[in-house]
Amino acid sequence: MRSEPLTLGFDTSAAHCAAALLSGDRVIAARTEEMTRGQAERLFPLLEEVLTEGGATWADLSRIGVGTGPGNFTGIRIAVSAARGLGLSLKVPVLGVTSFEALALDLPGGTIATVAAPRDRIYVQTGGDDPRLIALETLEDEGLPRGATWVGAPADDCADRLAGQATAPRHPLAEAIARIAARKTPGPAPAPLYLRPADAAPARDTPPVIVP
Amino acid sequence: MAQEFTILGLESSCDDTGAAVVRGAPGAAQVVSSVVEGQAALHADFGGVVPEIAARAHAERMDVVVARALDQAGVGLGDIDAVAVTAGPGLIGGVMSGVMCAKGIAAGAGLPLVGVNHLAGHALTPRLTDGVAYPFLMLLVSGGHCQFLLVRGVEDFTRLGGTIDDAPGEAFDKTARLLALSQPGGPSVEREALNGDAKRLRFPRPLLDRPGCDLSFSGLKTALLRARDELMVDGTLKVQDRSDLCAGFQQAVVDVLVEKTRRALAIYLAENPAAPTLAVAGGVAANTAIRAGLETVSAEMGVGFMAPPLRLCTDNGAMIAYAGLERFAAGQVDGMTLAARPRWPLDQGAAGMLGGGRKGPKA
Repeated sequence: MRSEPLTLGFDTSAAHCAAALLSGDRVIAARTEEMTRGQAERLFPLLEEVLTEGGATWADLSRIGVGTGPGNFTGIRIAVSAARGLGLSLKVPVLGVTSFEALALDLPGGTIATVAAPRDRIYVQTGGDDPRLIALETLEDEGLPRGATWVGAPADDCADRLAGQATAPRHPLAEAIARIAARKTPGPAPAPLYLRPADAAPARDTPPVIVP
Repeated sequence: MAQEFTILGLESSCDDTGAAVVRGAPGAAQVVSSVVEGQAALHADFGGVVPEIAARAHAERMDVVVARALDQAGVGLGDIDAVAVTAGPGLIGGVMSGVMCAKGIAAGAGLPLVGVNHLAGHALTPRLTDGVAYPFLMLLVSGGHCQFLLVRGVEDFTRLGGTIDDAPGEAFDKTARLLALSQPGGPSVEREALNGDAKRLRFPRPLLDRPGCDLSFSGLKTALLRARDELMVDGTLKVQDRSDLCAGFQQAVVDVLVEKTRRALAIYLAENPAAPTLAVAGGVAANTAIRAGLETVSAEMGVGFMAPPLRLCTDNGAMIAYAGLERFAAGQVDGMTLAARPRWPLDQGAAGMLGGGRKGPKA
C-alpha cells in the first residue's frame, strides 16, 4: 500500500514529450523526449512507460497535472485533450499548469518567466499580471522592470535588453508541472493558454442588398 | 445470436463535437444516446469553418459532451466495451483533440481503442438505422464530401466516383453567402428556391457529358456568381431574382446527382445484390428536392431507397460508435499509438481524387 499520493505531470507544449511521476514530493520516474512531431502518437506510450517505471498503474493516480502552455497550439491541445480524457475516466482532479508557473517554481519572487513565441516575440508574465505576447524588439517599451531575473526562453536575450540576469529553472518542466498540480487547489477543467486569437479573417464578400 | 457490445463513439472532424453510446451487434444495433454540440455561431463571421477555431472548441468540449452522452445513456465507462473515435479524414486539429481525449478515456478505463474513418461512419449508418445488408450503394453528400461508395463490408469499400473539386454542401454555403442568405446554406437556399422558377436561369450540368460517376461543383458556383452579377443593380438584388437563382442552382445540383446516381446504380446492379439498396448520407441528404430526385431514380431502377434521419446523416458520434462496433466485433482494435490523419481515403485501392500531393489524397 502506498502511503503517498501519486501525481502524474506531462507536457507537449513545444518540441518534446515530457512526463514525471511524483510520489508525495519525490520524483519516482520521469522522461523527456525531444521531437518536432509525433507527440500525439508518442504521449500515451511514454506515460505508460513512466507509470511502469514507477511501479504504478493508471488506477493508482491521485492527481494529474498538465502543461497548458503557452506554446505550440496543436501541442497544448494534445496534452490538454489527453488530460481531460483521463480526468473523465480516472475521476481524479486534473490541474492545468502554465509554463510560466512551471518555469518560476521555487525561484525567488520577482523572477520573470518567458516562453518563446513565433516571429521574434515572447509570451511573458510578471507577478500577478495577465500574461502577454510582446515583440522582443520593443521589450524595453513594455514597462518591464530593469535588473530583474529571467527564466525560460529566451531569458538571456531578455536579461541583456533590460540589464537583468538569466537563470535556469529549478526543475525539469514536467516535474514542475507535477509538483504544482500536487498542491494546487483543484479548479475548472484545464484549458489551453493560447494568448493569440485564431488566425482568421472575416469574410470579404459583401453580399448584395436584397430589394423587393 | 451475435454477441452484443456497448460502444462509446467520439466525433470531432469538422465543426460538430459529437459523442454517443451505441449497443448491439453488427446490423442490429441501437443508439442509446447521442449528443452533438455544433459550432455554427463560432464560425458565423468568417464565411466558413475556421480550422483553428474548430480545434479550440473541440479541445474544451469533447470530454464534456462524452460525459453528457454517458449520462443520457445511463451508463458508466464500466459498462462500455470499447471507445471508438474518428481518426480522420478531417480538420486535423479537431481530429487530434478527439483522438487524444479518446486515448485518455480508454487508457484510464482500461478499454480497447478503435480508430474509425469518418467516411466509414457515414457509409455504415444505414446498417445502424435499418440493418441494411451488404452490399449496398452509398451516396455520401455533405459539406466536405461527395462520393459514391459500393459498400461490401466494414473495411471493404469501392469508390465508383466522386467530386473532382468541391462538395455540394460547399456550393450551397457559397450560394447562400453570395445571395445574402443565412448559413448553413443548404436549408436557406432550399427555402428560397421554393418561391423561384428553376427554368428561368440556365446553369451548367458539369461532367454530365462525360462517362463515369465523377462530379464537379466548382463551375456551378462560378456560374451562380456570374448570373447574380448580371442581375444586380448598384449592389442590390431583387428578391424574386434571388429565388430564381436558388431554384436554378438547386435544380442543376439535383440533375447532376440524379444522373450520376443512375450510372452508379447500373454498376452496382451488375453485381446482382439480393436486396438492392441506395442509401444517402451527409447533410445535403436533408434537401427535399435532392432526396425526391434520388428516390425517383431508385424507383425507376427497382432499387430500395433509404436516408437515415437527419440527426444521423450529419456528423455525429453514433455513426462513429457503430462503425467502431463493426470493427471491434471483427476483432480490430488500435493501440495507443493511433494517429490522427487529415487524409484517409476509404477506398485504399482507388487512385486519390482530391488533394494529391505529398501527403496523399484527402478522400
